[in-house]
Amino acid sequence: MPTVRMTQTMMSHQAMGGMQIGLNRLAKVQEQLATGRIINRPSDDPTGATSAMRIRTSVAAQEQFTRNGEDAMGWLNQLDASLADATDQVRRARELAGQATSGAVGQPSRDALAAEIDQIRDGLMATANATYLDRPVFGGVTSGKVAYEKDGAGVITYAPTATATQGVLRTVGDGAVVRVDMEGPDAFGPDGDSVFDHLAALATALRSGDAAGVTAAADALDLDGKNIINSQAEIGARTNRVEYSLTAASDAALRLKSSLSEIENTDMVKATVDLQLQTVAYQAALGATAKVMQPSLLDFLR
Amino acid sequence: MAGTFSSINTALTALRYQQVALDIASTNVANVGTDGYVRRRVVGETLGAASGPALWARSNDTASGVQTSRVDRMTDALLDVRVRRERGRQAYLDMRALSMARVETGLAEPGDNGVANALGKFRAALGDAGNAPGSDAARSQVLAAANTLVDAINLQATHVNDEISDQQAHLDAGVTEINTLVKNLAETNRTISAAKAGGSDTTTLMDARDAIALRLATLTGAKATEGADGLMSVTLDGKELVTGFDSATLKATAGPPATTFELDPDATGATVTLTNAGVGGDLGATAELLDNDLPQYLADLAVVAQDLADHVNAQHNAGYDAAGNAGGDLFSYTAGDVLATLKVQITDPNELALSEVPGGGKDGNNAAALSKSVDVDDSYQRLVNGFGSKVNSAKQLADNQQALTKQVDNAREQLAGVSLDEETVNMVSAQRAYEAAARVMSTIDQVLDTLINRMAV
Repeated sequence: MPTVRMTQTMMSHQAMGGMQIGLNRLAKVQEQLATGRIINRPSDDPTGATSAMRIRTSVAAQEQFTRNGEDAMGWLNQLDASLADATDQVRRARELAGQATSGAVGQPSRDALAAEIDQIRDGLMATANATYLDRPVFGGVTSGKVAYEKDGAGVITYAPTATATQGVLRTVGDGAVVRVDMEGPDAFGPDGDSVFDHLAALATALRSGDAAGVTAAADALDLDGKNIINSQAEIGARTNRVEYSLTAASDAALRLKSSLSEIENTDMVKATVDLQLQTVAYQAALGATAKVMQPSLLDFLR
Repeated sequence: MAGTFSSINTALTALRYQQVALDIASTNVANVGTDGYVRRRVVGETLGAASGPALWARSNDTASGVQTSRVDRMTDALLDVRVRRERGRQAYLDMRALSMARVETGLAEPGDNGVANALGKFRAALGDAGNAPGSDAARSQVLAAANTLVDAINLQATHVNDEISDQQAHLDAGVTEINTLVKNLAETNRTISAAKAGGSDTTTLMDARDAIALRLATLTGAKATEGADGLMSVTLDGKELVTGFDSATLKATAGPPATTFELDPDATGATVTLTNAGVGGDLGATAELLDNDLPQYLADLAVVAQDLADHVNAQHNAGYDAAGNAGGDLFSYTAGDVLATLKVQITDPNELALSEVPGGGKDGNNAAALSKSVDVDDSYQRLVNGFGSKVNSAKQLADNQQALTKQVDNAREQLAGVSLDEETVNMVSAQRAYEAAARVMSTIDQVLDTLINRMAV
């Protein structure tokens, strides 16, 4: 629309409008620089804001996976160490049984061997009651403090009554759920046929000089030792899986965080250049206003 | 043939006329910054000789002097109508953008105090408690996070509800103002009519009347037209708000759920209902906010909150607490009023059902399942995103309209605005004309002096 008649009010309105626009743009860039974020409210960029929220949720999930994974590593390392101990103890018991069957051993020596076997049995029970953060790692989901207990007659039985179908689980990745406990009977044999029962049978056989009993108990211990080593291998496999998931989770968190930063963080270089540009534009508006508002016909009339 | 003294008289009319021209120029200069002032222009007309003194007679008189014919208000009814219409639209869009931007700030998204963050914290607390179901600290953390989540949802609802009550107050204040304006407009109509009959200058009254009409248009989008009788009538949604000296009374009932506008044309209490779509401006935006935008957000937020409570409760019911008993509800709410009644039902951390087996098992597997059951992020993000887009588009529309409003305002200012340069020119030319007329007078005086004092002495 061609302007046919210009008034002072129009000019001052235009000047005010121009300066307001300049100042507004300046304030916008300043906010981006001051907060370090491009998206300060959803309407700044609705799509970007949604992506940022989704990514932040994913980052939180990956961080949770990492925490779960670290907890799982605690459990599995404890199990691994305990099973290694147990293997040593069972091997020692097997050696003692071997000594007893070599023939040249008298009853007093057999009694001494039986006493050592009892020691090993108690030590093995302590190993089986190993805990991680106050939870017995061989106790499944039990709320009690121990996995195995000894009754008055010296019989060692598996204590937990509460059993979970899936055991203690940790989610270490999307759909990656790892069991981090091992119930006692799986490693040490079911009550009545457990490594503790075999050790007790061995001690009894040694004391009574029952050579056949000693051999039978020694054979059973062989099997127990194999069983414990197999369990340790299984724990190792699970540890591998958790380690892999941990790496994956921290990689994913890093990747997501950098995408998040790309979406909502201010590109400092760009914003600084923008700031400079807007400052120049604003100063130009100010300068032009000062020049334009000054003169009037009155200046030129005497 | 002109009389001896007629030239003096002509010069006198010129002096008078230029005096008026100077008066008008000074009034224009004085009101250069007055809102709603329309520049005046003095229109002169030549005082002619009698065109026909009598049948068969003839006059030798030439034109003799000038007189002020009228003082014009430099305005254009069509332009005024456009200004009022665009200002009404602008007020509607501005109000909507402003109010929704306020609500948006109250959402605190994206940020550390928003619901999205609280959802994440709640999930993390559940995950950590799942790793240590025997730890009282971890369990308490879950309850604290659940309470924070409920607080964050409540805070948002409070912000929106505050905006609703602000808008309700705004509606009441607006209606009161409109009723005063409408009465004033009818009264101004009456004064103008009387002044016209008495022959007084009505330009100032007309400025006042246009200002009222503009304010009415800004508040409601009402249409004002000047009739042939010079009286302004105002209609709102096609119903008469002001006709001549009479005014109707506007009544409004604030929503939600539905804002209604009624007109009482003759103060009898019998009212005509207006359609909301016919009411624009400030109040139209308020009605739209009260009926649609704000309650819609609350309703959507309530759905999110209810989904959250239902999903978490269902999973919580499937688990078992520290004592081995089946879990109850973690969240409670009253159906139909979710936002106001949502709260964390459990106060004892041991009642959190984190185990999936009865009998006090410490598996914590239900905690993982619970954290998975917090699945309202998507719907919440959609809600925030939707509202953000709405705010964005409201701002955009207001900005676009701004360009149009500015253009119309400029067009009006071109016509009605005071230009100081122009007034200075007018002033100087009036001054020169005045001086010339004075010179005419002194010249005639000298002529008469010659005639009377120097002849036949």
